[in-house]
Amino acid sequence: MGRRPILGAIALATAVTLSAAACGSSGDDTSSSGKKTITIGFQGVLSGDNQQLGLNALYGVKTAIAEVNADASYPFELKLVESDDAGSPDQGPTAAQKLIDNKKVVAVVGPMFSGATKASEPAYSQAGLLSVSPSATNPALTTLGFTSFYRVIAPDTVQGKAAADYLADVLKAKKVYSLDDKSEYGTGLSGALEPELKAKGIEVIHDGINPTKDYQSEATKIIAAKPDVLYYSGYYAELALLTKALKDKGFTGKIASGDGSNDPQYVAQAGATAAEGVYLTCPCGDANSDPKAAAFVESFKKVNNGAKPGTYSGEAYDATKALATVFKQLGDDVNRESVLKAFPGVNYAGITKTVSFESNGEVKGSNVYVYQVKNGAITVLGNIADLIKA
Amino acid sequence: MGFFDQFWQLTIDGLMVGSLYAVIALGYTLVYGVLQLINFAHSEVFMLGSFGGLFAARALLPDGGVPGGFQSVYLVAVGLAVGALCGALAAFTLERVAYRPLRRRSAPRLAYLISAIGASLFAVNLAGKEFGRQNVDLPDLFHNDTVFTLFGADVSTQSLVIFAVAIAMLVGLDRLVAGTRLGQGIRAVAQDADTAVLMGVNVERIIIVTFVVGGLLAGAGGFLYAMTFNASYSMGFVPGVKAFTAAVLGGIGNVRGAMLGGLLLGLVESYGGYLFQASYKDVIAFLVLVAILMIRPSGLLGERLGRAA
Repeated sequence: MGRRPILGAIALATAVTLSAAACGSSGDDTSSSGKKTITIGFQGVLSGDNQQLGLNALYGVKTAIAEVNADASYPFELKLVESDDAGSPDQGPTAAQKLIDNKKVVAVVGPMFSGATKASEPAYSQAGLLSVSPSATNPALTTLGFTSFYRVIAPDTVQGKAAADYLADVLKAKKVYSLDDKSEYGTGLSGALEPELKAKGIEVIHDGINPTKDYQSEATKIIAAKPDVLYYSGYYAELALLTKALKDKGFTGKIASGDGSNDPQYVAQAGATAAEGVYLTCPCGDANSDPKAAAFVESFKKVNNGAKPGTYSGEAYDATKALATVFKQLGDDVNRESVLKAFPGVNYAGITKTVSFESNGEVKGSNVYVYQVKNGAITVLGNIADLIKA
Repeated sequence: MGFFDQFWQLTIDGLMVGSLYAVIALGYTLVYGVLQLINFAHSEVFMLGSFGGLFAARALLPDGGVPGGFQSVYLVAVGLAVGALCGALAAFTLERVAYRPLRRRSAPRLAYLISAIGASLFAVNLAGKEFGRQNVDLPDLFHNDTVFTLFGADVSTQSLVIFAVAIAMLVGLDRLVAGTRLGQGIRAVAQDADTAVLMGVNVERIIIVTFVVGGLLAGAGGFLYAMTFNASYSMGFVPGVKAFTAAVLGGIGNVRGAMLGGLLLGLVESYGGYLFQASYKDVIAFLVLVAILMIRPSGLLGERLGRAA
């Protein structure tokens, strides 16, 4: 998709103005209830084609904050500063700088998309500001020497392997067409999936296509290749268009994709008929159907005007709650330095997983689930590790 | 999966998208022919028309299942009509607000360009605010079956509808410009506005009509586009650039050139996307543009709207 340089310039100007305003303001640090206020930041996709994923996460953060602020056992109240990077690597550093320049921000939930994360993290590392991503899954992110980067979601190597297992053992695919959107996230996921498939003796055809609206000739190409399964590594807005183009042309193979497409907006944009039967893998559990997360779903709906949790909501909630746990342990000594030092040692039993980290910033132990669109709704089929045994 | 096995399928895909480019390209070409002005806000006229048609068709769409028969024809017709009206209204407003005040003051060329970019940004962000920043899907208005097979390639209802409507609009416009009194006026203003005034042509009226006709086409084209892909607040930019390219390719200011340019661009993109990695599609399309402009700097058919087509 063409991004307009002029829009970028205006976004930049706005961001500069906003961050200047943030620097200039000097509020008091105690809230009305007499508790100390701790400010955290959120950097994510709050505009653009894939905005829904950003809202999912933002609402998760807000839910956690509302719970913490209502809970007397926390000796502080949390305050949130939002920063929009539109999911774009170009806008990542500016969005990060806005939070870095706000001296009250002691930790950040985000960034969300892998490309934006890669572009933003050098600034966070330099500023010594902790960032906990709910969703950036590109495997390389923890190997680039960022001292500020942690994530509460498994990298795509884990998802790629599980997806390969599922395509081979459950869907019995002999030939897979692996298409990615050439983004940091898409190439990371397809790069993790393809060697696993080949290792299982499956024929793999690879292609990459930048996000566009017109998937007609790509669909013709895919159909001509006659794959059993098409696996798309990219986000829902594009998968929706690709699905429509494929179904219009009578594609009879199966369609599968990853966590970036696992959102009800996918079904809304592709149309329920076209999306029916599509498989979606995700290193994320479904809060809406998990009995252990019922309390979370309740509180999420209450805080966010009835909105239901979506992909990354649970992860963003866990990231925020894990931060709050660390703040509580630190007592009076909450600042950027102390938080960055203490966070790797966190051990918080969240709703998606227990949040604790390997030394490289990867979260320990994570499951990959597979979902399917059934009657227009994304329905969980189960944990891939269990499904391939059956 | 050889290229020649898929040649006809790709040709049909290319003609479908190309005819959409052509319909939008006409708006650029008409305004350029009359005013020697590139209307960069035309892509937003297209976007607003698209939303208008989409919402109208969605409002009338019955619940459950894909409509068929007469109902489908009715829905498509309403969508096209409302899309065209919204496009015309947007173009009319644009001319009134962004261009006419400048013309009254005999502003330099560059001022129009800035005004167009401003109007475009305003329209994009207004649409983003009003219609949301998500893609909006238009449910199927008819069963998209294969109507017939051409050299082994499937021709779907959808590509047939789009191609037929687009060609009808293109031919209609060609006749309008070449064969009616209004067209005579348009050509007169394009050739020499000052002399046209002396001959009793109402230039202001011709300019408004030019914008409105361009808007009608872009709006209807926007509805066809939403039917094939989807609509979003930022949808105008890419097809806008492509259509502008098509207009230049055919010779800007030339109605038949825009049609030829649009269809050619669609075909080149479709073949290129198949032969090379999909992402090189645009690169190939623009390489062709550069190559053609090097040989024929004023486009394939030259740049005169004034010359009777």
